[in-house]
Amino acid sequence: ELSRRYFASRLSLTAPIGWANSVSTQPRHFVEHVVVRRTGPSAMASFLVARRLLCPASARRLLPCTSPPPSAPAALCWLSTDASPSPPLPVPPLEPTVDPPKKDGASFSAGSGAGGAYRTGQGAASGGRRSGGAGYEEEQQKVLRASLLHVPRMGWSESAMIAGARDVAMSPAIVGAFPRKEAALVEFFMDDCLQQLMDRIDAGEGELLKNLMLTERLSRLVRMRLEMQTPYISKWPQALSIQSQPANVSTSLKQRAVLVDEIWHAAGDAGSDIDWYVKRTVLGGIYSASEVYMLTDNSPEFHDTWTFVNRRIKDALDLQKSYKEVAYLTETLGAGIGGSIQGVLNKVFQK
Amino acid sequence: SGFKQVREDEKSKLVGNVFSSVASSYDVMNDLMSAGLHRLWKDRLVSGAQSITPYGDSLFLPDSSDFFSRLISKLNPFPGMKHLDVAGGTGDVAFRVVERIKSVSHRATQGTLTDMEEDTHIYVCDINPNMLEVGKKRAAEKGYNEEQCLSWVQGDAEALSFEDGSMDGYTIAFGIRNVTHIEKALSEAYRVLKKGGRFLCLELSHVDVPVFKDIYDIYSFSVIPAVGELVAGDRQSYQYLVESIRRFPKQEKFAQMIQEAGFEAVEYENLVGGVVAIHSGVKL
Repeated sequence: ELSRRYFASRLSLTAPIGWANSVSTQPRHFVEHVVVRRTGPSAMASFLVARRLLCPASARRLLPCTSPPPSAPAALCWLSTDASPSPPLPVPPLEPTVDPPKKDGASFSAGSGAGGAYRTGQGAASGGRRSGGAGYEEEQQKVLRASLLHVPRMGWSESAMIAGARDVAMSPAIVGAFPRKEAALVEFFMDDCLQQLMDRIDAGEGELLKNLMLTERLSRLVRMRLEMQTPYISKWPQALSIQSQPANVSTSLKQRAVLVDEIWHAAGDAGSDIDWYVKRTVLGGIYSASEVYMLTDNSPEFHDTWTFVNRRIKDALDLQKSYKEVAYLTETLGAGIGGSIQGVLNKVFQK
Repeated sequence: SGFKQVREDEKSKLVGNVFSSVASSYDVMNDLMSAGLHRLWKDRLVSGAQSITPYGDSLFLPDSSDFFSRLISKLNPFPGMKHLDVAGGTGDVAFRVVERIKSVSHRATQGTLTDMEEDTHIYVCDINPNMLEVGKKRAAEKGYNEEQCLSWVQGDAEALSFEDGSMDGYTIAFGIRNVTHIEKALSEAYRVLKKGGRFLCLELSHVDVPVFKDIYDIYSFSVIPAVGELVAGDRQSYQYLVESIRRFPKQEKFAQMIQEAGFEAVEYENLVGGVVAIHSGVKL
């Protein structure tokens, strides 16, 4: 329990530690709610930073920030000639239909780190990557996708990427050109999962969600996303540790922020006020906590994890209502005493 | 500013003479020309931390005590690699690649790939037999003579004797500025690399940082030839070398040339503010 909480606080989008404590079946006390609320702003501050880095929340698709996506025929050729052998291990559920032309490619390059940034000027410490961006990015994606098949055996390591490069008839030397090698593989996987999630929502599963309650919708979406990690669950702790390394943490936070945003959007989030930050933070915390819980879950088909997710989301949303209840209560109390808080303050400072 | 104008056909002869004469004291002079300056900055190194100077985040690196280490870590050698080091007669790059592939710690992380280790082969190519001799001698000193994976080949960077698409990696360290036709060397590099193979070039390059540039100029034109005379008894060769550094294309221009040769994802990294630059590209 302790390690889970520690992980959640380190990896999540600043979900308050106190919140985890308050999630219980005991009657909730007034004080606890105030405590949670007070940690909100500090939690939000760092999340605000992450949010500013994102594309506008209204744009559901990850916009190409750098290189333009290649033409559709090129993407199709890439799919059909993929030389990956049929693996003896379970493959994550990929879309059998044609993937939309490389929308995650550009986002991946955006998250690739400083090495990919183009900087001009002779005083620059390093020079940017030049043209043929589409060609190189494509090849990089091919290699990384092929490498994923080796991850369950070799972990998120260079060995997996070298084996992946050999699978697609590339010299393994290309792995040396990837920025932050293992992190590149993990980040590719995160982007790929997000893309799959969005595709599945668009493909029709989004419609099924409409009939459910908000809590159930969120649970279903979080479960969909976490299920994509089940083939790699034995090596997922390694991926988490790679993501939390200082050089990689900013990208992984960005990816998680986008993921949480996407889940809320698919669940039909309509709010645009201060609630937005709180919702993202809370769901981010639930997601990370569930992710870590899954690592030690031995129940058949991760049944316990889904129960955990359901409970956490239900509790969180009930807490949400409590904020409003508290605010309402405070106001009525103030009105009862005789005047709003502002009125009281005015009286105090008038003398 | 008094650069000697050298005709093309004379250049290769002149370079040949320079290297024959400096071969024996090459190590010392190389230290003084490039790493010497680097050592001035070494005192300010905080172990593992990034530099606080504004001259780029690649100035000090956690695992590089010198430029070759940085080159090798960029190259990222793997077991089973076929590597070609051009103009590396003295073996600086080659030995480090061998050590990196064979090192115990590296083997531990790569666990599943040791079966490929026997395929590893590093070719050292140099146009000057004297440099190759120096390299072989150093190999003997380090105990590499039993190594089946090192080969010493005499050859011209502009006309390599290796087959198309036979190399995983190609490096040229402090050698490309002495090549008469740089474009030919680059296209030869492109030819011998496999698909996905990497080209890396470590070279003395241009400094544009204002104050540091002047210090570097004074050091290059006044100090180095004088020291060359004292240490190696050959002022002219070192004067030529310093001038050849200035004549070499700037970082951006050279990166463009590499791209024109067909390489993708071309980028460069300045070390010590631009005194040394590592250009890299991938063949696709």
